[in-house]
Amino acid sequence: MENQATYNYKVVRQFAIMTVVWGIVGMLLGVFIASQLVWPELNLGQYFHFGRLRALHTSAVIFAFGGCGLIATSYYVVQRTCNVRLFSDGLAAFTFWGYQLVIVLCVITYPLGITFNKEYAEMEWPIKILLAIVWVAYAVVFFGTIAKRKVKHIYVANWFYGAFILAVALLHIVNSAFVPVSLWKSYSAYSGAVDAMVQWWYGHNAVGFFLTAGFLGMMYYFVPKQAGRPVYSYRLSVVHFWALIFTYMWAGPHHLHYTALPDWTQSLGMVFSLILLAPSWGGMINGIMTLSGAWHKLRTDPILKFLVTALSFYGMSTFEGPMMAIKTVNALSHYTDWTVGHVHSGALGWVAMITIGSIYYLIPRLFDREQMYSIKLIEAHFWIATLGIVLYISSMWIAGVTQGLMWRAVNPDGTLTYAFIDAVKATHPYYFIRFLGGCCFVAGMFLMFYNVLRTVFDGKPVNAPIPAVPAHA
Amino acid sequence: MNAASTPVVLCCFHCGESVPESADFVIRYRQRSEPACCAGCQAVAQSIIDAGLDAYYEQRDRPADRAEPLPSALREQLRLYDDPQLQADFVADSGELKDAALMIEGITCAACIWLNERQIARLPGVSDVSINYTSHRARVRWDPAQTSLSAVLEAVAAIGYRALPYDRVRQEAAQTKARKSALFRLWVAGLSMMQVMMFAVPVYLAPTGEIEVRWLDLMNWASFVLTLPVVLYSSWPFYVSAWRDIRRGRAGMDLPVAVSVVLAFAASVYAMLTDHGEVYFDSVSMFVFLLLTGRYLESQARAKAGAALEQLAGLIPAFAHRLANYPRDRMTHEVAVTRLAVGDVLLVRPGETLPADARVTEGVSQVNEAMLTGESLPVEKRVGDVVTGGTINLASPLIVSVERVGQETRLAGIVRLLDRALAEKPRLAQLADRISGRFVAALLVVAAAAWWYWHLHDPLHALPIAVAVLVISCPCALSLATPAALTAATGALARRGVLISRGHALESLAQVTDVVFDKTGTLTLGRPVLRAVHPVAGMSKDEMLRLAAALEHHSEHPLAGAFAGFGGSMMAGDVVSHPGGGLTGTIAGRHFAIGHPDFAAGFTTSTRPEVPESSDGTLLALVGEDVWLGWLVLADALRPDAAAAVARLRQAGLRTHVLSGDSAGVVAHTAGELDIEHWQAGASPEDKLACIKALQTQGARVLMVGDGVNDAPVLAAANVSIAMGGGTDVAQSAGDAVLLENHLKRIPEAILFARRTRQIIRQNLAWALLYNLVALPFAVAGWVTPWLASAGMAASSLLVILNALRLTRLPRRY
Amino acid sequence: MESLYLLIPLSVLLVVVIALLFWNAIRGGQFDDLEGPAHRILQDDDRPDPHLPGNESDREKNN
Repeated sequence: MENQATYNYKVVRQFAIMTVVWGIVGMLLGVFIASQLVWPELNLGQYFHFGRLRALHTSAVIFAFGGCGLIATSYYVVQRTCNVRLFSDGLAAFTFWGYQLVIVLCVITYPLGITFNKEYAEMEWPIKILLAIVWVAYAVVFFGTIAKRKVKHIYVANWFYGAFILAVALLHIVNSAFVPVSLWKSYSAYSGAVDAMVQWWYGHNAVGFFLTAGFLGMMYYFVPKQAGRPVYSYRLSVVHFWALIFTYMWAGPHHLHYTALPDWTQSLGMVFSLILLAPSWGGMINGIMTLSGAWHKLRTDPILKFLVTALSFYGMSTFEGPMMAIKTVNALSHYTDWTVGHVHSGALGWVAMITIGSIYYLIPRLFDREQMYSIKLIEAHFWIATLGIVLYISSMWIAGVTQGLMWRAVNPDGTLTYAFIDAVKATHPYYFIRFLGGCCFVAGMFLMFYNVLRTVFDGKPVNAPIPAVPAHA
Repeated sequence: MNAASTPVVLCCFHCGESVPESADFVIRYRQRSEPACCAGCQAVAQSIIDAGLDAYYEQRDRPADRAEPLPSALREQLRLYDDPQLQADFVADSGELKDAALMIEGITCAACIWLNERQIARLPGVSDVSINYTSHRARVRWDPAQTSLSAVLEAVAAIGYRALPYDRVRQEAAQTKARKSALFRLWVAGLSMMQVMMFAVPVYLAPTGEIEVRWLDLMNWASFVLTLPVVLYSSWPFYVSAWRDIRRGRAGMDLPVAVSVVLAFAASVYAMLTDHGEVYFDSVSMFVFLLLTGRYLESQARAKAGAALEQLAGLIPAFAHRLANYPRDRMTHEVAVTRLAVGDVLLVRPGETLPADARVTEGVSQVNEAMLTGESLPVEKRVGDVVTGGTINLASPLIVSVERVGQETRLAGIVRLLDRALAEKPRLAQLADRISGRFVAALLVVAAAAWWYWHLHDPLHALPIAVAVLVISCPCALSLATPAALTAATGALARRGVLISRGHALESLAQVTDVVFDKTGTLTLGRPVLRAVHPVAGMSKDEMLRLAAALEHHSEHPLAGAFAGFGGSMMAGDVVSHPGGGLTGTIAGRHFAIGHPDFAAGFTTSTRPEVPESSDGTLLALVGEDVWLGWLVLADALRPDAAAAVARLRQAGLRTHVLSGDSAGVVAHTAGELDIEHWQAGASPEDKLACIKALQTQGARVLMVGDGVNDAPVLAAANVSIAMGGGTDVAQSAGDAVLLENHLKRIPEAILFARRTRQIIRQNLAWALLYNLVALPFAVAGWVTPWLASAGMAASSLLVILNALRLTRLPRRY
Repeated sequence: MESLYLLIPLSVLLVVVIALLFWNAIRGGQFDDLEGPAHRILQDDDRPDPHLPGNESDREKNN
């Protein structure tokens, strides 16, 4: 049986497998709602209506797929870098089952139309409370493990993970303040512009700390490990951490350009969004330069391809983001599919790619195999996924700009040139291309699922022994 | 990945050196047999593997140093470290546990650190060990009831490294504390700057009146709270040093800084409370942050230089073998060098370093004085000769009588010389500070005058305008101009293998008019190379070489290194070393001798043939019992890129010189070969120093390139110096810059680059001064809005930094 | 806009918390060696080894 001399890989295994499962579920949902936009007849009744499934899709990919990936990797990284078993096995198991319960409840309630009506936070109050409890347990396990670490230095990946855990707890609790009216209905405790500001403070920082800081933690561990090279500059990675934490917090108002928010608040958001480019690119360069001296490995190692491509997409979307925060650019892009394309270049290119790479790294180690069942399948997955992303973001970029231009076009007499439906018609072909891109990406996930299953069945679950290491203070 | 992969020549599994064919040392590694070059490497590798630490061999990215076997005398010495009296200097006793700082020598890569940590941690009773990657310094904590310090030191020695007590713990603790608090001051200022900016930016962006007054007040209060720690904590060093200046009646750079920080803060508080005037909280924190950044970077660079003297002191061994009852018996006792007294008789074994200045009373040996004179060929020492502490005994045991100890020794004298030379350094790095200092002093006067003027005409605006003058003209750009460019240039040069260790090096390099080279080890490789073979008795050159190599294979003499690689399958037996003469030995049943011509003549019955003509260098004779086989000429070879480097220097309009302790013939030859106009031979360290001083009095700005301890004072006296990285550690630290890979061609590159850096610094200074001079009248006139002031200040700082960043990229033509 | 009364003091508080955190990190020596940790994670060998459980050495590369 398990004893203190081994790492707790069990919970890592559970989360890692569920990452793949929820990835497929979330992305299938994405493909389905994308096809609804191409073929509206597919809106089958109220439960499978676009309006309800979209929220399920975003939550499933961000919180179910991304969240499981983050928790799996953070549990792995914190144990390996602190040289100690998780703080509490029981609590760790609770985080797994609790988190899965939250996801399943969301999957059930969202199509039923039970919603809190806040983007990325649609779950109703009982689920919110459960999530808060699970998240606190997660924080206790993570920081408890750090507290009893055997290595004096806390590796930079853990700083990122730690910031992610704390910030998400704070964001979730503040944004979730609710007034319940029944078991399945509640209203936000805030109102009007304040509600919008709180919501986008949440929405923005969810991107900053969930989709950026957390996955940067992943990057700072798995890229060096897979490349077999130390981080290009560890010093820079520490500076990167603090700089990112500071600037991200204040760029939130850019989500509310041209709304009821005071003009100066919007300008502030714009300025800080532009400043944000510096730490983002610093981190990206640090990650990519880690490969200096090991570039040749890229040719043969598809896992490294995933990780490095993820960094490239991170660089791309963190450039695109600040550009879109400039008010004049935003005047064109706001509410168009350009935003959707931007989000997906981050979500598919950065978040999904880095997670997939890390999971491919983890699975053989968790199941006592030398490597994944098939390296060729990983290679195939990489190319089909990349093709999918390219199809997706290029089609959405064209669709978005088309929409923006058509919506703002006016006749000499001041009337609008196009009716809204004209823009819908014009973008229809691009929706189809987007659907194809999504299909590619999901197909890649199925390859991954098969590859993972074969690896799991060939291997057996192991809990690696904790190597004896010099005792640090 | 590791060295055991070269196909043709067998390489030692541990250290990567080629394995002599005669060697038969095997390392068992993972069910494989790997070759070792010597018993030392074999023992070390085997103890690493037996300890279960063999992962070291796949983690490392370069081979280890060649390991010497651990002599029992060393064990005995290590045991002396358990003496509580001796431990007092470097061991902290915290109740149950003891805590020591050790310096680990021989670390070449990250895997070494891994290996050492695990090796030490394996010892029972060791509770804690960590080695700093950068400084190679280890902290070990152990339970004295279970283990001893000597066990730790021995464990490190067993895997081929050397651990020495690091006795500057206390001094270092103070430095570390200072560094940490400097970092935190900087960080507080940076954090506050970010947040205050966040409250200030909307005010600049929004049209006047758009933000309601109550929000302005709220943001002002928040800014106030956030700026308070900057004024009270981060700026503290400015106040301290300003106060010191005042008490000494001087006006340094920190005085105006302190005044403007306090005044700007006070005026902002006043404006906040009375709703009158502008707040400058953002400017205060930004000002302090930028100043502290510059200082932090500067202090980091300076810390590196401080290690020089420390390393020089490290040349002296910690222990000596004393012959207490000499000459009655030869029982040796280990004794700490610090307790040696004049008249003590010591035994110095081959390979050991002389612990003090002494006179030889018994024995003949070769002593390597390279540490002292920089010259590579060993010097013969006989009874009555003086030997110097810090030099290395090479050939055979010597018994010496101590003549000078401690501060009286020659090495200590050199340390003092170096110390003084360092203190005499021109303080070019402070140029910008001085300019800024004067500028701000003037600024203070102007601000005071502005205040007086407006006080008479418009008392309500007097204070805000005076503060505006101070803040708007804050010489941020001015104080950044030099450090930013120097930092960028230092980084760029480091990537090309030139490590700048002193702040002034780049500025001084740009002004250089004369380049003075040391010869041995600088222009030349510093080790003998076979120049010519002259067979006499009809033997082929190859055959002669094989014979010589077989004999020399057994010798540790530096000349023997020249023969490595020429050996065949031939094996020499009964090899005997005759100090001051040469070697004798038997090959295939015949006796041979190799060595000094006189020595050879005494060995053979044949007559000495004529000496070959082209014999610059050391002449060796190879003889059989009844036949004179021939001559071998050994000489120091020029570095391959020496000629090109000297030519480039001349192209750049610089005069070149050679100073050497070698004989006139050799130096003249070298100078001629490289086309160097000025040379001086037979120069002692004092002569070299005098020569540099003479050049300097003629108005020359001298760059000295050298290695070796004897060069250290000379390096320090030159306007700027470059040490060869392959030289001793001491010279490295004494040099203002270090050539990491000993590529001489980097020297002209570095000089040209330094000139470019100087140009950029001048541009920066010019721009910063211009900005301040233009902004000042506007501020005095009261025309500058805070928005414009901050934008101007930030923009001028940014421009200066961006201009400096141009230096991070070296153009291809360098 | 009344939320500013909450948000601005909150941001000040946050700065104080972060400053304390950083102070603790400096004092605890987290920033003493900013090169070693990058190498240390590579030295932690997490490759599975079916032959010698408990012995982290003696493994073959599996890239």
